[in-house]
Amino acid sequence: MNAGHDALRTFRDNLRQVPGRLAATAFRTGAPRTDRSRSTFVFGNVFLHLHSVRTHRWSLRWATTAGLGIATLAAFFITLITGVLLMFYYKPYPEAAYLSMKDIHFVVPTGRFIRNIHRWAANAMVVTVILHMARAFYTAAYRAPREFNWLIGMALLAVTLGLSFTGYLLPWDQLAYWAITIGANIAQSPREVTDALGITETFDPGGLQRLLLLGSDTVGEEALIRFYLLHVMLLPLVAAALMAVHFWRIRKDGGLAKPADVDRRLAPDAGAHPLFTDAPQKTYHLAAIVRGRSPAVGRGPEHTVPSMPHLFYAELAVFMLTVFVCTALAIVSDAPLKEVANPLVPENPAKAPWYFLGLQELVAFSAFMGGIGIPAVVLIGLGLIPFLDREEAGTGEWFGGPGGWPLVRRAAVLGLAAAVGVEAFIIRFGWLREWFPGIPQLVITAVNPGTVLTAIYAAYSLWLVRRFNSTRAGALGLFTCFLGGFLVLTVVGTYFRGPNWHFFWSPADWPVH
Amino acid sequence: MASLDRNKWLLLGSSLGVLGLLVTAAVREHVLLEWRQVQAEVRLDGQPVPVHLRQVVNPALGVADRCVSCHVSMAPGEQSATGPAQSAHPNVVHDPGEFGCTACHGGQGRATLAADAHGTVHFWPEPMLPVRSTEAGCGTCHATAGVPRRDVLDQWATTFERLDCRACHRVDGRGGLLRPDGGGLEGPDLSRVGLTGFRADWHEAHLTRAAQETSRPWLQAWRPVPDADRAVVERYLSTRVAMPALVAAKATFLSSGCLGCHKLSGVGGDDGVDLTRAGEKDPGRADFTEVPGERTLDNWFDQHVRTPAAVVVGSQMPALRLTDRDVSDLTLFTLSLRRRDVPGSYLPRDRMRVARFSEREFASDGATLFGAFCTGCHGRDGLGLRAAGVATFPSVANPDFLAAAPDQLVSETIRRGRPGRRMRAWGDGSAGIREQDIPAIVAYLRQLAGTPESVDTKPARWVQGDRTAGAVLYERTCAGCHGPRGEGLDAPALNNPVLLTAATDTFFVDTITRGRRGTGMVAFAESSPTHPTLTPADIESVVTFIRSWGVQP
Amino acid sequence: MTVSPRPAQSRLDPEAVPRRDVLGLLSLWSMASALLVATLGALRLPRAAVLPSPSKTFRVTIPETLPAGEPFVPPGRSVALFRDGEGIHAISIVCTHLGCIIKATAGGFECPCHGSKFASDGAVTGGPAPAPLPWRQVTVNGNAVIVDEETSVPAGTKVQA
Repeated sequence: MNAGHDALRTFRDNLRQVPGRLAATAFRTGAPRTDRSRSTFVFGNVFLHLHSVRTHRWSLRWATTAGLGIATLAAFFITLITGVLLMFYYKPYPEAAYLSMKDIHFVVPTGRFIRNIHRWAANAMVVTVILHMARAFYTAAYRAPREFNWLIGMALLAVTLGLSFTGYLLPWDQLAYWAITIGANIAQSPREVTDALGITETFDPGGLQRLLLLGSDTVGEEALIRFYLLHVMLLPLVAAALMAVHFWRIRKDGGLAKPADVDRRLAPDAGAHPLFTDAPQKTYHLAAIVRGRSPAVGRGPEHTVPSMPHLFYAELAVFMLTVFVCTALAIVSDAPLKEVANPLVPENPAKAPWYFLGLQELVAFSAFMGGIGIPAVVLIGLGLIPFLDREEAGTGEWFGGPGGWPLVRRAAVLGLAAAVGVEAFIIRFGWLREWFPGIPQLVITAVNPGTVLTAIYAAYSLWLVRRFNSTRAGALGLFTCFLGGFLVLTVVGTYFRGPNWHFFWSPADWPVH
Repeated sequence: MASLDRNKWLLLGSSLGVLGLLVTAAVREHVLLEWRQVQAEVRLDGQPVPVHLRQVVNPALGVADRCVSCHVSMAPGEQSATGPAQSAHPNVVHDPGEFGCTACHGGQGRATLAADAHGTVHFWPEPMLPVRSTEAGCGTCHATAGVPRRDVLDQWATTFERLDCRACHRVDGRGGLLRPDGGGLEGPDLSRVGLTGFRADWHEAHLTRAAQETSRPWLQAWRPVPDADRAVVERYLSTRVAMPALVAAKATFLSSGCLGCHKLSGVGGDDGVDLTRAGEKDPGRADFTEVPGERTLDNWFDQHVRTPAAVVVGSQMPALRLTDRDVSDLTLFTLSLRRRDVPGSYLPRDRMRVARFSEREFASDGATLFGAFCTGCHGRDGLGLRAAGVATFPSVANPDFLAAAPDQLVSETIRRGRPGRRMRAWGDGSAGIREQDIPAIVAYLRQLAGTPESVDTKPARWVQGDRTAGAVLYERTCAGCHGPRGEGLDAPALNNPVLLTAATDTFFVDTITRGRRGTGMVAFAESSPTHPTLTPADIESVVTFIRSWGVQP
Repeated sequence: MTVSPRPAQSRLDPEAVPRRDVLGLLSLWSMASALLVATLGALRLPRAAVLPSPSKTFRVTIPETLPAGEPFVPPGRSVALFRDGEGIHAISIVCTHLGCIIKATAGGFECPCHGSKFASDGAVTGGPAPAPLPWRQVTVNGNAVIVDEETSVPAGTKVQA
């Protein structure tokens, strides 16, 4: 009887303590006020434990990263959430897709706003991922031991472009339809070479790529469902997996790249406190058994601050800033939705998404070189850079290495000028086919404005290698040149190309059809 | 630490910014939307209406129209709503609550913003039909069968007016008014009687009724209708299908010869653009550079019909001499060519008759056929057409021509055309003219010219002239107009194989002898100071020479 | 917001942590509220403002040959129409139990799912159905009968044609 009474009281007490215990078991540590509790806050949390417990002050400087990686991640999260919301109403079937877009636009509560955010976040992600890559390149952050992470980053760039491109078809309007038609034909461009060699019958990688992409010979319902699958399943999964590896590798490779003399460069921080004695007996974090020259082996974690709160405020700030930018753009500007796709009425000009317009400009010279050849050379070049540049000077510094900023500045001028010059030349004088109408296609494929531009850049870069006796100098020049060329070609493709891909000073001069 | 504080400030600023933007978006969606503001002012029986999106959905017609979100009075059950953008729908057969709005009026039904919904935005290919062209919307489903030529329709309408049927009956919104003496509206509204049909014994019924009635309208207004007029009235009533403007427009279309060059539902020539879906032209893709006035489709059609070559560069369509009424009728009719596939339960009877029983969309008498196929080039009077930039079209109703030409020549010309010129071979069956139509057209031409077929007892080939002398005479007399090799300059070509096969020698001899009044062809047998005179032997030599083209390879 | 370090601290003491971080809390709370508002806004999205189903008010022609008391179910609709000497009426044929479409017979209604039974006026006579079948509004306009599937009328309301 008595025991039963006690049991009931215990039951009542336990019931009363449910909220407190729930909180305790969820968060385990108390308020993160001591170094110890701050550390457990980080490594005791599944979402945060990818971070190191302490972060170097160099990494926290805005100038080090400009927050571009986090901004890309934030944009990815935004597209993920808004994308899932849009899937409530989107129907991946021709015509129905277009009508569901109209519904999202006009009657779905918050539908138009969310679609606008999705679209702007997607564009923001393309921009930030490119800038993030430029940052990593210019601070020489690809160097050992980060070669592999550089390759993962390149894969993420490709996946990001793929995500954006596959999303382009889904509205099933004229813009989407013809942009994807162009894109699919770029995928088919190896045929230019196989046709010229006369081996398309037996070996047709271009046709296979296009078939795999479209599932048919034209953009139709098969293509739509494939693009939908890629857009909402495959590519996000691949992106998430690659991102996990990418972030994990950041930590395993010793955090962000820092100059060798980073400790001297940072002013002593009045608020920073060392954790350990001057002669540590062990690494401060057993879990992080890292190879090589990690900042944490053999010495105290000088110039580091607890990730909680220093790093997390920085990350949250960048995240919310990205949300703010995307939301603001979404309020100001509506995502486009043209007429329903009509395979019988081509858009003229039919333009690919803006980040492919540089490619489309190259494709206008030679489908194979523009669509496959030059991009492949660029990608291989980018992938090889960490293995060719084994120097050490300038790691972790903007435009670090021989030549430095003056070299980058001159390379930028040359890259822009060469691209503008080549464009101006072909717009004014035409190219081989206009001069010698009978010229074989293989000659055009080999010698066209795109390859000429690439050759100019390559020659300049080789000269830089010799001049500075440094691979890094050549890489800096080449990367800058290509960035400039990409910019010029994209701008020309976006603003100065009209019907039939003719040059126009402004869309106002386009002939009406 | 300074950087930590900076990040906190940034986080605070961005978060507050996001919060502000979200509130802005919420206000825009909950307060500022047009339809919300309209509905806030709408009253139904003096009470405010609940503010929510309204729509009419009809999956069979592919309609999901949110128009009723602003035009609440068109929504089912809310017909008596008052306020801005509210008005009662005129009483038509089609209930907007069932058919929606866009099926007839065009526009973008899924949109909820005025500009998008009315379709005046750049990326909507099918803007709303302007009110003046509302009846063009009927063409979405209805193919009005049995519409006569315009002069016939006008004549029928006049008879109907003359018989004063409108004293008691309301037709197309006119007549049948209430009179001060208490009468009026005695008869039913006849605006749709072409659809619903009427009693075959209506005249007898009227007679019986009149014998019994003593009220004033029956005594004063009603008179027995003569048999001939009765037939006219019945035919006129069969065209009253609740779309008088479209029927009139089609009558004009059928009198303007458009089918000579344009195809409509598989009927007509191939020279021009197929018009079957011309009303669906996307104004966003039409070239308005040479079109003065507003950028609407009906303005484009209006200007194009008036001066085709000015609107479409290189157009071979002649500028027909059209009145303003012709132009507005043709514009309305072209706008109405937006025929859409509809499920069987919505397929109207007139269209079913056309689709299943291959019924013509127009009458089959010679006059209507000539009007529909020939007048575009040969003119309503058949006297041909001269227009800038295009070859002259011959005068086919010329009395002298018809006097000389046997029916066989005219019908053979219609049947086989003039290869190499714009006159196509209508007998090939692909243009919608049937074999039995050709004699009807020929007969109408004779009626138009008032010239019966002349009897020719001679065989088709009887001339035996001197070809060499003929060549010299031709060179001197005929080549100036007909061209050195008979290829035709100002005057028609003579070396055309169909002409040379079909025309009899008598036709050639008669034409040269007597000439063709009203054209440049003079009577060469008559002596005149202005042209050489040819003897019968000369004429036969020339004919022999002309004939020689027919045997050359 | 940061408090000045306490004096005479050992190098090995932990970092001074401000106990009241007004700016930090403010920024965190504003972020939380922004994300909360965003979530609430996003949660509105799945609740459709308009439904894709056909309008619930429809026009129907009752066959001339329909015997008095026999049901007539217009194709694709979930309402049975009856015509008798007193006029026309419409009864919903959606079971009030769990929404199955029930079978209308001359004598009453029977649900195939869980065996609910209804009398010819819609009243429950058996099975688990908790409520009688609602009568729907019928209006007669000329020779067209307009049925509103969304508006209920008291049982027994019949409209003269």
